Amino acid sequence: MMKLMKTRVKGRILCALAAVSLTYGGLVQADEWPEDNIRLVVPYSAGGTTDLLSRKMADLLQKELTTVVVENRPGAGSTIATAQLARGGRGSDHMLLMASPGHTIGASIYPSLRYDPLEDFAFVRNMINIPNVMVVPSSSPYTTVAEFIEAARTQEFSFSSPGIGSSIHMSGELFKSMTDSNLVHVPFRGSGEALPALLSGDVDVAFENMPTVYPHIKSGKLRALAVTSPTESEFLPGVPTLQEAGKEYGLETYETYAWFGFIAHKSFPAEAMVKLQAALDNVMASEEFKKFLPQFGAEAGTVVGEDFREFVQKDLEKWSDVAEKANLKR
Amino acid sequence: MENFSEVMALFLSVDNFLAIAVGVIVGVVVGAIPGLTATMAVALALPFTFSMEPVTAILLLVGIYKGGMYGGSITAILIRTPGSPASACTLLDGYPMAQQGKAKKALKTALYSSVVADMISNVALIFFASYLAKIALNFGPPEYFWLICFSLTIIVSVSGDSVIKGLIGASLGIIVSTVGLDAVYGTQRLTFDDYNLMDRVSFIPLLIGLFAIPEVIEFYTSKVAPHIRTAVSGASLTWKEFKGLLKTIVRGSLIGVIIGAIPGTGATSAAFISYSEAKRTSPRKANFGKGEIEGVAAAESGNNGVAGATLIPLLSLGIPGDVITAIILGAFMIHGLTPGPVLFQENLTLVYALFCGIMVSSFVLVFVGNAAIRYFSIIADIPKTILLPIVLMFCIYGAYAVNNSTFDIGLMLVFGIMGFIFNRTGIAAAPFLIGFILGPMFEDNLRRTILISKGDLSIFVRGPITWVFILLTVASLLFAIRRYWMSRKEAMA
Repeated sequence: MMKLMKTRVKGRILCALAAVSLTYGGLVQADEWPEDNIRLVVPYSAGGTTDLLSRKMADLLQKELTTVVVENRPGAGSTIATAQLARGGRGSDHMLLMASPGHTIGASIYPSLRYDPLEDFAFVRNMINIPNVMVVPSSSPYTTVAEFIEAARTQEFSFSSPGIGSSIHMSGELFKSMTDSNLVHVPFRGSGEALPALLSGDVDVAFENMPTVYPHIKSGKLRALAVTSPTESEFLPGVPTLQEAGKEYGLETYETYAWFGFIAHKSFPAEAMVKLQAALDNVMASEEFKKFLPQFGAEAGTVVGEDFREFVQKDLEKWSDVAEKANLKR
Repeated sequence: MENFSEVMALFLSVDNFLAIAVGVIVGVVVGAIPGLTATMAVALALPFTFSMEPVTAILLLVGIYKGGMYGGSITAILIRTPGSPASACTLLDGYPMAQQGKAKKALKTALYSSVVADMISNVALIFFASYLAKIALNFGPPEYFWLICFSLTIIVSVSGDSVIKGLIGASLGIIVSTVGLDAVYGTQRLTFDDYNLMDRVSFIPLLIGLFAIPEVIEFYTSKVAPHIRTAVSGASLTWKEFKGLLKTIVRGSLIGVIIGAIPGTGATSAAFISYSEAKRTSPRKANFGKGEIEGVAAAESGNNGVAGATLIPLLSLGIPGDVITAIILGAFMIHGLTPGPVLFQENLTLVYALFCGIMVSSFVLVFVGNAAIRYFSIIADIPKTILLPIVLMFCIYGAYAVNNSTFDIGLMLVFGIMGFIFNRTGIAAAPFLIGFILGPMFEDNLRRTILISKGDLSIFVRGPITWVFILLTVASLLFAIRRYWMSRKEAMA
């Protein structure tokens, strides 16, 4: 009997010790975060815009916190890497993912994903936004958005994109559905393939990312009809927004851009989130970051935490609607 | 003269030479390891270039690119494992040469063909960039379509002994290439609802599986276990042999330059087209695929001819022709430079300093390549019982590393078994590979042409480039049919 009691007491002491050490361990973890290197998962292949921006951000962030290791995990849009983050597990408190419109577009086109694009994640902050530009070849007879829409309502035009489900493709689909114009999508594999077709006039229009087309607008090979952001871009002074140029054609709420921001697993510790957001504030205030933005025709992101979640939610609603109208849901 | 001294002041710095040397060394080593591609190395090196001077940064990346292009051939020749996709063609004759004890000759042929092609490609970049860029811009979907049709005819050349078996292999390759999302509608094709297959079948696991794994299976399933010394200490490439190969190398380089200048076509296609042309015109046709030195020279000159030329659309138009040049474009942008016509107007000194560095990188490749042959050739002396498990380990790692995906390891094993069955049934793996690479290009450009045609199918014959490639396709097919009948007649007699 005594032996049994002794064993029970020993067991309880061990349990209590274990509980104390776990709680203490948890506290230490929150206080001392980051205890390990941060893994920044890029859901696309090495070499793309997302990869490039991520590597630069990793470089700046590690000056504030700790070593940031960039990992490329491409596949199925950005959904394979995102599903991996959503699963969580060991190390997920040191894991970030560079989310972009692929996050919301992927969820709009493939509603049967194994994760919830909003509920399964913690939203850290939006870092960079790059507007798209509506461009036509210099040989095109159209010089304004209005002229283009008028013509596109009576005849068929083609628009290029670097692939189905890209923000550039979806910007075109959004334009098509809002203006009721007759546009045919011509998909390429990457902007490198899409651009020559646009420059030579094989396709009539594109809604390309600013850094891709900016040098060609500057050299006069492409004509910028409008920017897709709600305000004019400082890089293209005098070029109107689609909202104002297409006001009479139903574009008064048109707004698209490539946004980039960090997301984490939903269990990401709250104290670590505060520390991470503070570090990212420092990154964004740094001279190096400010100098980096213009090279990509980019603007600094503004929304943080729950506001960022709300921003992503609106984006998701917008693309779900477009996917529905363009019959893209799979 | 003032410009010349400015260019020299910008180029002649220790940092630049160091960047080229380090770049080429890293490129050759990474290129030689299966699964570690030059693309990955360039992407990983990119953050290190943030703090460098623009010329130094770009030269480091270009060095890795060029080293990687050559490095892939080392393991392709020694252990039938292409270190990079573009070297898959090199192994067709390189590996049989190694088995015949001529590994050193094959490796040196690959090196000197690469260097000559690289230099020709650089010259094209420096002197004909604007002209070639204009041709590249005239390549729309219909022109690509006919270029791919012409390229598909090379299946006949790499089919081995049986054209029928070659066509079976190519058809299987095309079927496998259709796995993934439909490019126009986004619907899933043959994915079995598996997300891992939505982005098509991964190229590197397929490549490793198809070529390296069958060797391992073959070794363990066959009763005899000979230790063939691949004799790297054996005969090297003689000047006389090299002179005999020069015509093939120059032709391969020019094919590489043209293919490289057209965005999105790629070094692998260039290698196979060059190989096919060499075989078509060679008096030793029958020896191709069995250890023909000209085959190695053709493949390597084709893929290295691309290296300098891919910089043509990048520098003169700001259009990246492949993933590596896309990363290099990023490096330019990070340093506040915009490739394209504006670069030539605003930063001419920098452009010429870059050209100097790119030329120097070809010479550096000679030294690094020779050193690499010396050290990597140790591989050839390792008994197969020890070597093959190590090869298998690298294969598994290589397949995993591309996408950090365990699914890709399974994929590699599946293609390994497929490759083994191909070997046993006499189906050559090369047509399968060509079908896999060119199949999607054929489909994409056919559909794009129809989409932009607005119902007018005369777009398929819209200009001189399409006419040239239609003629080449027809001529190539007629030539193949004629050869087929001749060989049948000979067999009957």
